[in-house]
Amino acid sequence: MTQNAEGHVSGRDRLRASKTVGEILETAISFERTARDFYSALSGKVSKRIRWLVDELAEEEQRHFDLFTELMQRDDIATQVQARIATPVADPKFSDCIHLPDLGDSPDDQSVLQYALGREHAAMEQYGELAASTEPGPIRDLFVFLAAEETQHKAELEKLYYEIVHSGGV
Amino acid sequence: MSRIDYKNAGSILNPLKSLSFFARPAVTEPLEPRRAALRYRGFHLNDWEKCVGCSTCQKVCDNAAITMVRVPSLPEDPLQGVRNLRPAIDYGRCCWCALCVDLCPTGSLSLSREYVHICNDDELSSYFVLPDPNGMHKAFYGEGWNKTAENDLVDPHRQPMGELEAEARIGHFGEILNGYDRQQAIIEASRCVQCGMCHDACPTQMDAPEYIRAIWQDDLEEAVRQIYNTNPFAHTCGRVCTHRCETACSIGKRGEPIAIRWLKRYVVDAFTPQQISTIVGKPALPPSGRKVAVIGSGPAGLTTAYDLARQGHTVTVFEGLDKPGGMPRWGIPEYRLPYDRLDADIAVIEAMGVEIRCNTWIGSDISLQQLHQDYDAVMLALGLQLGRSTRVPGSDHARVVKAVEVLRWVTGGESFDVPRSAVVIGGGNVAMDAARSLARLQRQTYEEVRVTVCALEDFDHFLADPAEVRESTEEGIVILDGRGPQECVIENGTVVGLRTLKVDSIFDEQHRFAPKYDESDRRLHEGEMIIEAIGQMTDTELLGDALTEALAWNRGRLQVDAYGRTSEPWLWAAGDMVHGPDVVHAVADGHRAAHSIHQYLTSEALQETAS
Repeated sequence: MTQNAEGHVSGRDRLRASKTVGEILETAISFERTARDFYSALSGKVSKRIRWLVDELAEEEQRHFDLFTELMQRDDIATQVQARIATPVADPKFSDCIHLPDLGDSPDDQSVLQYALGREHAAMEQYGELAASTEPGPIRDLFVFLAAEETQHKAELEKLYYEIVHSGGV
Repeated sequence: MSRIDYKNAGSILNPLKSLSFFARPAVTEPLEPRRAALRYRGFHLNDWEKCVGCSTCQKVCDNAAITMVRVPSLPEDPLQGVRNLRPAIDYGRCCWCALCVDLCPTGSLSLSREYVHICNDDELSSYFVLPDPNGMHKAFYGEGWNKTAENDLVDPHRQPMGELEAEARIGHFGEILNGYDRQQAIIEASRCVQCGMCHDACPTQMDAPEYIRAIWQDDLEEAVRQIYNTNPFAHTCGRVCTHRCETACSIGKRGEPIAIRWLKRYVVDAFTPQQISTIVGKPALPPSGRKVAVIGSGPAGLTTAYDLARQGHTVTVFEGLDKPGGMPRWGIPEYRLPYDRLDADIAVIEAMGVEIRCNTWIGSDISLQQLHQDYDAVMLALGLQLGRSTRVPGSDHARVVKAVEVLRWVTGGESFDVPRSAVVIGGGNVAMDAARSLARLQRQTYEEVRVTVCALEDFDHFLADPAEVRESTEEGIVILDGRGPQECVIENGTVVGLRTLKVDSIFDEQHRFAPKYDESDRRLHEGEMIIEAIGQMTDTELLGDALTEALAWNRGRLQVDAYGRTSEPWLWAAGDMVHGPDVVHAVADGHRAAHSIHQYLTSEALQETAS
């Protein structure tokens, strides 16, 4: 992962330093872009047997990237970008994800899934905290939405994890 | 007769006597019928909620008065024993014997106390009726003849299967179940109503009603023929089949399903492999001149080999381990499936001309490309031979092992340091197999059992067969449901146990995996060894990079068509590696692949290539 990647120390610092919704949305978009590029690069390295999994993760990150970018361009969101919010200090659970496993060049499906789950969990918690520390209104709704998006993705990944890893033991 | 003066013509005025009736009031009866007796056999009633469309009523009707009518709006689920058929009655044929009621497995049919139906000539079709609970004319007259203990012809009770008590079986790997004797088997077979729900539910579409009828007729050779129509793993499936047939059995709707699996075992246990080979026979076909390589000697691979050999092809099965059988040998303990019974299945298959080469690893001893060159078709039946790991902290310790490895050690007779205490992670049958095998080794080594099973799922969602859970508990194994593994605890380089958290819930409202833990309920389960039995996967290394890249995949598994053919025209795949773990599914897969390979081998395209 790059230094700017979601879940990395510098990524957390960037979020902490962000003072406007616009800045945070930009950071969120950069997280998605970094993740998409990471999975896209990984796709060419892994066995074709599990490439579908990495490709799906890249597609999902791209979908979020597109969604957030579109949000940024909306007029009603733009009116809020100057609103300042208090960015919470990330709790230890978020920091844990700084130590995401090094996948290496040829990870297996379980490693990729665990990695992706860790990322989604971190993102989910971060957006959740932002939502909790924001006054009710459109801005908070935005963070709730972002947190829900990451939560939904994590739920889908957990289902996939169960199907893949726990599939053959009966 | 002598008192009647039949020669007396009577008075000439006698016809006038009828005039006396002019003065009498007419005798009339109301059109509303009189109330029938409580057990009257009137028109049929059918409770559609109870009826599963099994067609038993149709089969038992001697007058052929019942026709099963498909109702598309009703559910159809062969695995649950549900057909969208409902009986229609032809009252031009019905004699109201009520056998349909007496033999109805679900008790959905009864006869009402309604008995009057009048129509004009152009309404004769109204005597052909699809009964429902409301009655012939949508006016419920009350139930007349219905199913009671006195007239119920369905025997809901299964013949008991003798088995060793826990104390008698825990010290060894001898088989637990005794099997049926002749009398038990015939009585059990007599319970079957021949509805065929079992046939529909079986992945191999087994002719179970036919072999059960043959058992009832005490014609076991015919039963063998019927079984081998679809299943060359009869000994194996007679013991460890997942018996979906019994889930679908219509008798099981109100009582205990027919012991279809155990009846199969009874049949094949009565013969030697040589006798079975003779009974089944081999079609007198000339050699086709075609050669097929099968990689893997489990149920899928050997079923394919069996079918193709019987069709005249030369089949060689390659097995990496020193004995054939695949997961049934190396993954199922002998107390459930004695090795000599598996050997009996394999002997019949070999008798059809199948050659099995053990101790031959494809990929290292012979390359897959070499097989491609030397054979007309290649079949992959690799199974799910690799165990998955939780990868929780400490799980990389040498005393944290996969269940499939432990089971392989036990089958191979390999000596290993039997732990005095052990924790098994998992709630499926493999977890139970590993736990029970270790329990036996502990009993032999230390005269006590100290095995704990920690399953993520709660008992309501347990994956293991309920009988396995019950027997494990009887043998002294502690089974804890709803425990999520957090860490394999290691002290001074030694495994001391597994730390778990309580699982509050494992699935969300949409039944998706979404575990929620109770952080306050943290426990350490003592164990010198931890066995992971959470899942398995296929080792596809033998494919090599180039072929792996060339093949089409479907979410981690080889993509195959309905007949097991991969995207490479010379390569097929079947069994657990394609469709997940289940012996009888693997057998069905093997048949489909064999059919497809045979089509390919006899196709014009291949003939032209050869010429």
